[in-house]
Amino acid sequence: MKSSLLTAQNVIIQGITGAHGAFHAQAMKNSGTGIVAGTSPNKAGQFIDTIPVYNSIKDIQKDFTVDISVIFVPPAFAKSAIIEAISAKIPLIVCITEGIPIHDMLQIKQHLEKGSSTLIGPNCPGVLIPGNNKLGIIPAHLSLPGSVGLVSRSGTLTYEAMDGLTRRNIGQRYIVGIGGDRIPGTSFIDTLALFESDPTVEQIVMIGEIGGTSEIEAADYIHQHVTKPVYAYVTGHHAPEGVQLGHAGAILGSADESAVAKTQYLAQCNVHTANSITQLVKMIPA
Amino acid sequence: MKLLEYEAKHLLASANIQTPRSFIVDVNSLPSFLPVVLKSQVPIGGRGKAGGIAVVYTSEEYTLNTSRILSLDIKGFTPKQLLAEELINIERELYLSLLIDRRSASIILMAHTNGGVEIEENHVDDFLRCSLTDKNLLAAGEQLAEYFDLPEKSFVLQDLVKNLYACMIKNDATLLEINPLILTKDGEIVAGDCKMELDDAAAFRHPEWNFEDEAAEVNFVTLDNQGTVATIANGAGLAMATVDAVADAGLVPANFLDIGGGANESSVLAAFKRIMEYPNIDAIIINIFAGITRCDEIAKAIIAARTQINALPPLYIRLAGTNFEQAVELLTAEQITTLSTLESCIEAVKTKGKS
Repeated sequence: MKSSLLTAQNVIIQGITGAHGAFHAQAMKNSGTGIVAGTSPNKAGQFIDTIPVYNSIKDIQKDFTVDISVIFVPPAFAKSAIIEAISAKIPLIVCITEGIPIHDMLQIKQHLEKGSSTLIGPNCPGVLIPGNNKLGIIPAHLSLPGSVGLVSRSGTLTYEAMDGLTRRNIGQRYIVGIGGDRIPGTSFIDTLALFESDPTVEQIVMIGEIGGTSEIEAADYIHQHVTKPVYAYVTGHHAPEGVQLGHAGAILGSADESAVAKTQYLAQCNVHTANSITQLVKMIPA
Repeated sequence: MKLLEYEAKHLLASANIQTPRSFIVDVNSLPSFLPVVLKSQVPIGGRGKAGGIAVVYTSEEYTLNTSRILSLDIKGFTPKQLLAEELINIERELYLSLLIDRRSASIILMAHTNGGVEIEENHVDDFLRCSLTDKNLLAAGEQLAEYFDLPEKSFVLQDLVKNLYACMIKNDATLLEINPLILTKDGEIVAGDCKMELDDAAAFRHPEWNFEDEAAEVNFVTLDNQGTVATIANGAGLAMATVDAVADAGLVPANFLDIGGGANESSVLAAFKRIMEYPNIDAIIINIFAGITRCDEIAKAIIAARTQINALPPLYIRLAGTNFEQAVELLTAEQITTLSTLESCIEAVKTKGKS
């Protein structure tokens, strides 16, 4: 993932006339993001705030070049919205929508492989570059420009960590919520690669969760490719164990997916680990 | 959503996959046929070892075992249903499953020649694994026939793979496991047991879904019934982090609760009522960091809880994010104070305990 992808200017909102879309389109615009238009089927000609509404991305592209789309479409229509954006060759798609069926994500992944777009999310708070772009729902007033690269699977913990850093007067360069779904568009590794290669990032903060193996893969990547200091917290140390149905999951993923196991593995890979979010925020040098 | 065996087999049968002849036990009626194997319907493995399965030949055995199994406690679950199936002459017990692999973002098929309850004893590398798409189903069926060493069943297994794949897609299943997959002495291939998990997120396109989902409710989990600190948070990550922080401070969290994005007054009020069922709660920590959620909605719920619930334990409230100012205005009017961080909430709970 390249920095220019996240800092590009012409942003559209898919699903701009819905309650969440309208509310957050204004919030994004107010924090200086270049929102040029929005889509909503059969609502062309309306305005949200001063943002013009179009029926489709194709229609917008007659009037504007589109660099980024932020999606607030309800889950039942999110698959078509994402595929519409991929077909329109929009370089960056940020999907906030929570609750997209996993079989829809399998199809979306196939479209992503064939297309040229990068997808962040779904089920994520999006991206915030303090003082630059707000692509999603991360509360910008709690951020502070600086040099931390923050990546998180959890939306609310993204805010928590950002707020904690700002209170300690530690600024952030990128805040990226990759989302908590089982099949995300962008992984920890894609984001860590950006943080490592971008000279404006000096420290990296990573927040994981129980379940899946993406933190383990990230740990291996950090061990081999990341030279900057990484601070991590995997939430769910005291979470109850889920009842696994059948044997297939255990056979496929023989790795331990608990927060404790992941934390230990990250520590072995030279990552500074914390056991709580407050501890994480405290351990980052100012 | 985890289906019970009889529900899963019903979906298999609808997809033209062979299942044993069966009926659901009605304690007030005679069996439709005998002999049968009685199988307790619980959303957890290990029921056989817990006595939840019995082969019965006579009406006396049937009546005796029916009432015995229906009153069992199987790892915390009492069977609500009892499935009765014909006895099958087993030649071989195989293993076959379809599931979604996160890493490759694809549906994969896994199989083993040595199926049954000890399936996890097999070495993980011995399983046949292949990625399925709608274009390679017949090839996968052929590969399966070769792997099972059943060349004469090639067409049958091709159909089976094709039908299982269709069943998975049609029902938005995330797991479909047949263990054992039985080769009968008559040379038929039958689904002996089936575990199926459906994607709750897809419920909007399945008005037909009407299952007994006993293992449901992931958003509210009791951690310790005797715990002293209850937690309310939004987002699974923050909810887990709140519990981690409470436990890390040496306090005993009673529950995990994620009120979810877009929570409103009534859903939060319902959460308060559930928390009041715990006997030892002396503090409730409310930790909300609103993105899509709006703090003022939470504030309204807190105010409603204070008026509607008797003997509400002290609240330690931390709100931040969207519509924070409106929330503080509402709460201040009711003389309710908030704290600025989770850490300060926890400190306040600890200090109170000492005083």
